Amino acid sequence: MQHDRLLSRLALAGALTLTAGAGAAQAVEISFFRFFGECQAEYGSVNTAAEANGECGIITALANQFAAENTLGATVATQIVDWGAYYDLLTATYSTGSIPDVAVMHGSVLPNFAERGLLMPLGPVFAEAGIDTADFVPAALANATSGGEVYALPYDLHALLWHVNMDLMAEAGLVNPDGTPILPTSPEELIAQGRQFKERTGKFYLASESQAAEGMMVRFWQSLMWQQGVDVLSADGKTASIDTPEGLTAADLVKAMYDEGLVNPALDYAGAEQAFLNGEAGIIMNGTWVVDSYDTQARSGEAALKNYRVANLPTLFGTPAVWADSHMWVIPADPSRSPEETAAAVAFIKFLNDNSFQWSRTGHLSVRQSVIDSPEFASLPHRTEYAETATRARALPPAQNQRAIFNAMFTDFNAIWLTGTEPADALAAMQASVEQILRRNR
Amino acid sequence: MAAGRGPGRLSDRLILGATTAFAVLWLIPIVWVVAMSLKPNAVLMRSTAGLIPAPFTLENYAGIVERATVPTWLMHSLIVAVSMTALVLILSSLAGYAFARLDFPFRRTLFVLVLAGLMVPEQAVFIPLHTIMSTLGLHNTYTALVLPRLAVPIGVFLMTQFFRAVPKELEEAAALDHASRLTIFLKVMLPLSVPALTTLGLFTFIYAWNDYLWPLVSATQADRYTVTVGLASIQSNFAFSEGLGAVMASAVFASLPIVLLFLVFQRFIVAGVAMGPGK
Repeated sequence: MQHDRLLSRLALAGALTLTAGAGAAQAVEISFFRFFGECQAEYGSVNTAAEANGECGIITALANQFAAENTLGATVATQIVDWGAYYDLLTATYSTGSIPDVAVMHGSVLPNFAERGLLMPLGPVFAEAGIDTADFVPAALANATSGGEVYALPYDLHALLWHVNMDLMAEAGLVNPDGTPILPTSPEELIAQGRQFKERTGKFYLASESQAAEGMMVRFWQSLMWQQGVDVLSADGKTASIDTPEGLTAADLVKAMYDEGLVNPALDYAGAEQAFLNGEAGIIMNGTWVVDSYDTQARSGEAALKNYRVANLPTLFGTPAVWADSHMWVIPADPSRSPEETAAAVAFIKFLNDNSFQWSRTGHLSVRQSVIDSPEFASLPHRTEYAETATRARALPPAQNQRAIFNAMFTDFNAIWLTGTEPADALAAMQASVEQILRRNR
Repeated sequence: MAAGRGPGRLSDRLILGATTAFAVLWLIPIVWVVAMSLKPNAVLMRSTAGLIPAPFTLENYAGIVERATVPTWLMHSLIVAVSMTALVLILSSLAGYAFARLDFPFRRTLFVLVLAGLMVPEQAVFIPLHTIMSTLGLHNTYTALVLPRLAVPIGVFLMTQFFRAVPKELEEAAALDHASRLTIFLKVMLPLSVPALTTLGLFTFIYAWNDYLWPLVSATQADRYTVTVGLASIQSNFAFSEGLGAVMASAVFASLPIVLLFLVFQRFIVAGVAMGPGK
């Protein structure tokens, strides 16, 4: 670890020297590894991020802008990978030798790479490059940290939200005088408001992916656990608290939502979206990433959804909390990378951090408090309606195999409404599956 | 006679009717895919129902065709698929002939070992294979994409069975004319095995063209992508809801060469299925 720190310091010294003598610097190519799709035809020549839209457009324009503006003479060679296969391919690069200089990574996956020494520690680099880690919201910084060391630049928080059809809420009598939706503040209120909605509109109160593909309800259940003051995984990532009284309270609520017919259990991700956009459900539980997309649909006038609003995930128990994950930038460890290449990679990451606001235009929450507090962020559509989500966001502690843990949980959890498994049995099965994975981690 | 043919005709009609019904049933998803590929993504986000592409758009296909990288991906796929097919045909026919006709030590044992290869799932050898290719420094080359795919037990088995069925008299006649073993193989056996070779070749080509996982982890540089990996890479994160039309267009686009191949060679493919290892 000390050796790594020394290397990164040397790299940074190299960067500063290069910046000072930019004219003499040789062109360095940064290999940039990411998902978010390909949109070269539309944004290949856009050098100003402010002129781009959507995840793909904005990140493409940011890379172009860095290549055009940086004083190191560095260029960016972007390699785009299918989202579903991204981590398989990234892992493969360590073996094939074409290790990228900068790569995108989810916070939930970071421990798998960091704990195997596959990422360059960035703490000292940030300090010297002038990246202020104190400006990151706590959940995002926690996501970027493993074993007490920062390994990534957090770039956004994507959390669960409630996306609301205000016309249907008005029909159900669930709108406050100030125009905000009346949302539940306790499990009892959720069921009562759901019933009221169903009786007055004849439609589903909530649309949610319920078909064991995305685990949307597990994220909801995890949020309810945090709201009751229980961490599903302990801070050291070694023990699980799933089969607990709090777990049962939350799972019983989820079961009641399906039993009462407030949620349609037959919908997958795309089906839930269609139900919401077609005005067949009052609320959809989905992430920050769809805000702009739903807003566009509502404004188009072609969808049944006309009056769209966003809300933080309701706090049904004592503590406001919501599940979140994070996109972040890492520098994969590569012994053959030259100091110049490392310096260019660090400069690119710093540039991305400096332009964090541009990324928040995607709908993701910014992880920089200074951006969240800025008037330009507040002027983006709907952002003020869910700004608090950034401070309520909770991430699982940095444990290895988080994806496996998540998958193990949602298979058993979905059985509650898909096969009628009792919540207590489902939780016991989840506890056993997760403990099996945690034992493997040790 | 007429009474005898009556039920026959009826059963023929029933079979024809059932076949048609199944064919239509199986065609519906394909028609649905094509219909979705011709609709705007924003419309698909609201509804995926309907087999008629209205409103109609070609923007999903334009999105593929206007990418400068697509011809490169197609070329990579073509090079990999053609070379893999040619080499598999050469190796399988040679091995098949040897197992069927030549006498050599441990022939039976070796044949059983080859057949045992049928039982090893591809995933089981994936990591060792990847490590071997890394050690040899072959990743991101055509060699890495083709070489591990040349051992095709089913191909060897198919050709062995085929050569075994060829009457020995044909070979003996050639031998009487002083033809060498190689001449017999090239001039007598290979021409006879054209249907089997065509079938094996087509299946190998289709397999190579559709291959995704191995090219994904071996060709890790974007300029080495094959068409399947390339088309997957251009999707947005939530492509299954926000970019469904583009995904469907990719699927149609990538399968066009295979569909054309099928239309041209369908007689051989059908014969190949009928001839399969079950017989």
